[in-house]
Amino acid sequence: MHSVIAESKDITLLEILDRVLDKGVVISGDIVISLAEVDLIYVGLKVLISSVETMERLRGAPFAGAMEEPT
Amino acid sequence: MKSQSKGLIYLYCVTDGIPQIKELKDLVDNVYFIFRLGLYAVASKVSSDEFSEENLKRNLADLEWIKAKASIHEKIIEGVMKDISVIPFKFATLFNTEDTLKTMLKEQRRILKENLDNLRDKEEWGVKIYCDMGKLKENLIQNDKDLIKLDKEIKSSSPGKAFILWKKKEELVKTILHKRLNEYGQDSFKRLKQHSVASRINKLLPREVTERKEEMILNTAFLIEKIKVADSINTVEDIKLRYAAQGLFFDYTGPWPPYNFCSVGEKAQNA
Repeated sequence: MHSVIAESKDITLLEILDRVLDKGVVISGDIVISLAEVDLIYVGLKVLISSVETMERLRGAPFAGAMEEPT
Repeated sequence: MKSQSKGLIYLYCVTDGIPQIKELKDLVDNVYFIFRLGLYAVASKVSSDEFSEENLKRNLADLEWIKAKASIHEKIIEGVMKDISVIPFKFATLFNTEDTLKTMLKEQRRILKENLDNLRDKEEWGVKIYCDMGKLKENLIQNDKDLIKLDKEIKSSSPGKAFILWKKKEELVKTILHKRLNEYGQDSFKRLKQHSVASRINKLLPREVTERKEEMILNTAFLIEKIKVADSINTVEDIKLRYAAQGLFFDYTGPWPPYNFCSVGEKAQNA
């Protein structure tokens, strides 16, 4: 089968963090103790999120058919 | 004052086939699965010393800890999905007891099964597009008709006028750069999308996170039927060639657990 195409381990780690911390199924309710806190993970990296917004302008017109991530 | 350490259940993923977890024990020695109503939850026992609300918050400030734990999270799910479809849960999805986890499986059973059926024989692939802005700018200055014309005008103008025109050129470069980036991004996305059954555009990550000199200009995920993966790889190779001179780079990675393509949770409960 196909394996992850990545030029270096660092790229893979970036890819992992980009998914594991931000995506994946979230179940909330009494049974789970700390999911709401998980967004905090990005706090360490969050300095960064503000500069993302300036880049997001570059996306310009909506890409037809893609589901935009709800933010 | 003293707090007793307590066991918690960390959920990695849910599947509907028997998970092969023997090899995963190298990653986390107590990984196991919980069966309920045709669903298998792959989980491990963790300690509140690390994962209680308070301790988790503290650990989340530690990037090294996050890196190590997030990698394990990913590898466990990758191990399971070698053989079967999975629903990947978010990092640090924790339950107090096995019973509460079983209750979740029971309550969400229908929607979990639906998701697994939808994901069968499909893979998530990611494409991140980066741009070497210097190279793109250089390319534009050399090839854009309007810019070339302006350049000629500057060369044949008096110093005063040349300065004004030079300012104008700077502005024009910026405008064209943004326009082109949008075009390239949209064109690439359209070409990649044709092989997929679903697609997502995600947040851009800045250079401080990517640690690359190029800017990320598009961060996408695609759900692709396994039989079409080879086609999509060819398309990426095509696009790479098409835009190499413009300073674009494409990181195509996969197959990933379908983090971007599961709809389970609050929304699903209302459905």
